[in-house]
Amino acid sequence: MASTEDKPATKENTSSWKDSFYNPRTGEVMGRTASSWALILLFYLVFYCFLAGMFALTMWVLLISLDDYVPKYQDRVPHPGLVIRPNSLDMSFNKSDPLKYVQYVKHLESFLQRYNDSQQDNNEDCPRGEYFLQDDTEDMNKKACLFKRGFLSLCSGLSDTNFGYSEGKPCVLLKMNRIIGLKPRGDPYINCTVKKEGPIQMQYFPSEGRIDKMYFPYYGKKAHENYVQPLVAVKLLLTKDDYNKELPVECRVEGTDLRNNDERDKFLGRVTFRIKVVE
Amino acid sequence: MHTWVAINLPKYSYLPGELHAWSTFPITLTDIKLLDGLTNAKAAEYLIRDGPNALTPPPTTPEWIKFCRQLFGGFSVLLWTGAILCFLAYAIQAATEDDPAGDNLYLGIVLTAVVVITGCFSYFQEAKSSKIMESFKNMVPQQALVIREGEKVQINAEEVVGGDLVEVKGGDRIPADIRVVSAHGCKVDNSSLTGESEPQSRSPDCTHDNPLETRNLAFFSTNCVEGTARGIVICTGDRTVMGRIATLTSGLETGKTPIAKEIEHFIHIITGVAVFLGLTFFILAIILGYSWLEAVIFLIGIIVANVPEGLLATVTVCLTLTAKRMAKKNCLVKNLEAVETLGSTSTICSDKTGTLTQNRMTVAHMWFDNQIHEADTTEDQSGASFDKSSVTWLSLARVAALCNRAQFKAGQDQLPILKRDVAGDASESALLKCIELSCGAVRAMRDKNKKVAEIPFNSTNKYQVSHRLYYRCDLNDNRYLLVMKGAPERILDRCSTILIQGKEQPMDEELKESFQNAYMELGGLGERVLGFCHVMMPEDQYPKGFAFDTDDVNFQTDNLCFVGLMSMIDPPRAAVPDAVGKCRSAGIKVIMVTGDHPITAKAIAKGVGIISEGNETVEDIAARLNIPVSQVNPRDAKACVIHGTDLKDLSQDQMDDILRNHTEIVFARTSPQQKLIIVEGCQRLGAIVAVTGDGVNDSPALKKADIGVAMGISGSDVSKQAADMILLDDNFASIVTGVEEGRLIFDNLKKSIAYTLTSNIPEITPFLLFIIVNIPLPLGTITILCIDLGTDMVPAISLAYEAAESDIMKRQPRNPFRDKLVNERLISIAYGQIGMIQALGGFFAYFVILAENGFLPTQLVGIRLNWDDRSVNDLEDSYGQQWTYEQRKIVEFTCHTAFFVSIVVVQWADVIVCKTRRNSVFQQGMRNKILIFGLFEETALAAFLSYCPGMDVALRMYPLKPSWWFCAFPYSFLIFVYDEVRKLLIRRNPGGWVERETYY
Repeated sequence: MASTEDKPATKENTSSWKDSFYNPRTGEVMGRTASSWALILLFYLVFYCFLAGMFALTMWVLLISLDDYVPKYQDRVPHPGLVIRPNSLDMSFNKSDPLKYVQYVKHLESFLQRYNDSQQDNNEDCPRGEYFLQDDTEDMNKKACLFKRGFLSLCSGLSDTNFGYSEGKPCVLLKMNRIIGLKPRGDPYINCTVKKEGPIQMQYFPSEGRIDKMYFPYYGKKAHENYVQPLVAVKLLLTKDDYNKELPVECRVEGTDLRNNDERDKFLGRVTFRIKVVE
Repeated sequence: MHTWVAINLPKYSYLPGELHAWSTFPITLTDIKLLDGLTNAKAAEYLIRDGPNALTPPPTTPEWIKFCRQLFGGFSVLLWTGAILCFLAYAIQAATEDDPAGDNLYLGIVLTAVVVITGCFSYFQEAKSSKIMESFKNMVPQQALVIREGEKVQINAEEVVGGDLVEVKGGDRIPADIRVVSAHGCKVDNSSLTGESEPQSRSPDCTHDNPLETRNLAFFSTNCVEGTARGIVICTGDRTVMGRIATLTSGLETGKTPIAKEIEHFIHIITGVAVFLGLTFFILAIILGYSWLEAVIFLIGIIVANVPEGLLATVTVCLTLTAKRMAKKNCLVKNLEAVETLGSTSTICSDKTGTLTQNRMTVAHMWFDNQIHEADTTEDQSGASFDKSSVTWLSLARVAALCNRAQFKAGQDQLPILKRDVAGDASESALLKCIELSCGAVRAMRDKNKKVAEIPFNSTNKYQVSHRLYYRCDLNDNRYLLVMKGAPERILDRCSTILIQGKEQPMDEELKESFQNAYMELGGLGERVLGFCHVMMPEDQYPKGFAFDTDDVNFQTDNLCFVGLMSMIDPPRAAVPDAVGKCRSAGIKVIMVTGDHPITAKAIAKGVGIISEGNETVEDIAARLNIPVSQVNPRDAKACVIHGTDLKDLSQDQMDDILRNHTEIVFARTSPQQKLIIVEGCQRLGAIVAVTGDGVNDSPALKKADIGVAMGISGSDVSKQAADMILLDDNFASIVTGVEEGRLIFDNLKKSIAYTLTSNIPEITPFLLFIIVNIPLPLGTITILCIDLGTDMVPAISLAYEAAESDIMKRQPRNPFRDKLVNERLISIAYGQIGMIQALGGFFAYFVILAENGFLPTQLVGIRLNWDDRSVNDLEDSYGQQWTYEQRKIVEFTCHTAFFVSIVVVQWADVIVCKTRRNSVFQQGMRNKILIFGLFEETALAAFLSYCPGMDVALRMYPLKPSWWFCAFPYSFLIFVYDEVRKLLIRRNPGGWVERETYY
């Protein structure tokens, strides 16, 4: 008895299941007629257009409230990070195989394009050891102090186009992140150490790894169009004993109030990278 | 030696007809005289063979299975999947990276904790409500008096075995099914088995083929109210009639409760959306070139965002709150989900005795002075009274008081008369209370009139007359007074005169007809009518000291003076007619199902409004038109009274026909199986059926019903066990409260779910945009959990406290097929409209923070690859500043916090608009204090999570600048205005497009 009852029920079910997609009797697609679909879709179209308008309005209010030159808040970037070039924290290459180190060389070369004399000649030669303050000028466009490739001497890529990679004494460039209005106190310089038994000779360019104060403060992308960051090059004077070993190198910004020992942020005023030169 | 062992009870397999065989088994008087009972050895042997004389408790689900159900049911599966994926992702990271980020491990642990904690929470809530039963467990072991080896011994009722000879006396509980072999005035109360409240006498004679009707069987767990009886145990434990009903009950499969179905439906929708979105974006992520690991992490995020983690806990809390509120109104809910079932109920099958009526006989009418007088039957004596000054009434009261063996039990003088306990049968108690109420001091009346002789009511006495003789002590009157009461027609036969206005008048034909009319009328009201007469015996024939012989009646029993009629009924409870009326206006059909006589049932049904005024049954129409019943079109009659024996012959179609076409139905003389058939019939027609009952006979129907309602005071343990809800005051009116609460909670759950689901959109969209347009993630998984399990919880729960918008008792019960808890309109509103506004509010806050920190919106699209790259530590913003990974992540987490706070802000508006579905908030008011508390609580919690030191490490949430709190305010305001306008349109155009598309 139960089975005879079930059959028509299941038949009905299958047809209603199909009907839920398209019901030929009422012309309903997915439970709605065409006009019903049109109406609800029109509603949502209008509704979302309105929302988009509302959102655009609030965004517009936001954008006009912003300053073009300086972000509203800078409290999330109180201290600059320190980064290296080539942009690899784990360098490994064979000094006698150019294919292995050509990527680093190319990277450095392209990075230094902005520091070419042709670019830098337009910039000012500012007095050393002082902040280059331009707050008093009416003009929003600020002048930039020049930093020539030549300052990097052996690591400039001018004399040694391989930046020392071919001779196993690689150059690494260090730069501090740009932060608008940052004026580091004291005399900032970069100091690198290798965590290894014996100390490794290093050459700093400019001498002592100094970062001159004239490159501060930074006035922002829009005002300070030609600004270039000061660089410090470190040439690792590796010897035969140091080859084929992974050397952890840590560089810090010293001599200022800039943080270089933050627990969470390992790149704040310091950078650690590993380098391995294969003979 | 011939003992009862000789009966040699076979193996107990309870075949149909066997019980009948037991009732007709020839037992001779000599057998009884030889009776020594079982030997102890035999009894021990039988006990081992048949097991203890106790009902097997219904099988219960082991606790650990219940716990696992909570742990792996509902959304848990999705969350478990999320957690496992997290651990898997972490494992892959740990295997491939040197320094794996702990994020995934952390999230996996959090998700596991969430599942386990919400699972434990629900489990304990359920366990708490199911513990209610324990308070009802009768811990005192029953004792039984058995005769073994010729000696009476008191043993534990569990040790009684088949063949035992047992003795029961008034007040005892019958220890097993017994065949009575000797009885002295024994009466048993079978109400727990048959529903009939009238005590029935028991004797050794087999009087009926039906074992339940025959006089010589007494049943397990019924009560012996008076007299003594000896009987031989024929069945014990589960084989007893009671046991079989209990087994039938526990064997019944019950379906899911309506709310469970609704929640399941809703979980399916949400799970479907989550799985669909998750997989779509998983595949999309793979196509877009993300790694497997990233795609898996997206999948986890989408699952977490889609699942309203706190919602099931919210639903449980809402139901618990309602259950608590109902418990205060005397509805104790055993099963949490039953809270809502009552609200969905479309049919109530109510028992009569005790539920609709007061369960005590009360004098309802009197006929004297050729006139019917109405007595006050209300529980609190608030009704109208009759003229008590008539001399005839005083005589009638005297007869009723004297010709009455009932008396108040001692020590209750301070109690109101109606509350006092009376020793004696139901009708005599009714008379006693009636006289005590209207004339007072029955005891004094009895003291003044000493009883001289008495012929008690005797069932073998075919005269159906009980009469007593009293000596009247008045100083100046030495006559004896004879008072008599009994069936009116018998009494009338013995009378030649009648008392009218205190004067004896000869009984003429006119008065006889008047009597007949009154008798018919009172009988037609379903009342039990008794006639009363008296006579002053002439002093010359019966001088003082006359020796009355009651066996060989040597005195006048004819030519008496008729005094009047009194009729009794178990009157309806005062609150019931109103409650039935409310049920009716709430679209609930009330069906009376009783074991009582059709006439009584119909009278009560009319009295309480189950058969409403002006509605007629087929029989009524036939009587009015004076045509045979068969000529009446059954469609003309809205009401019907169906006798159990007729019910037996009905086919399923006829049954459906009756249930469909009659709005007012009374089933009388029904058996437990028939109750079950009625319930199944209603369910077959798609009704959600509530059944009330107190007896064991009701328990199968209670179990089968969508919601079984047992009586707390008069209910038997078996019925309480089978029920989902217990009415502590046995009052039908409490059910109406239950219905109201049930409907309210259904509405409020809708609101609560609408509120909770809305925040899903601002939780999902950040992930989708993160994947599609490569912006930094606007909202993290941890913050999503903070919303779902933190800030959203109290406001969602507070909606359970929301007052009804309109009179919910004036609308039809919900149609379980059409009116879903979560329907496409609710989803459309929550996801498509309010949710979208909320998402925009969140995104606006996100863009504000990034822009004010230097990352303008135009730069954000596509920035994600560098943004999330740990080795990029000089990411440039729109102002030329460069950011380390950690620095920009802090900004990102600040965005998460702001997005989170914005959701809280837009949820303020959402909870206010969710307060009502149709009315304006201004009509509804803000009287819900819990909701206001919820608003403050969620804000405080959000502030705490943002500003508490250490949160940056624990949950990666960062302090916000005060101005960022206001980003979402315009959107919050928009939500409020939008929804108020929508509801205004719904109210303005009932049935219009807005209502059809957005009224959930």
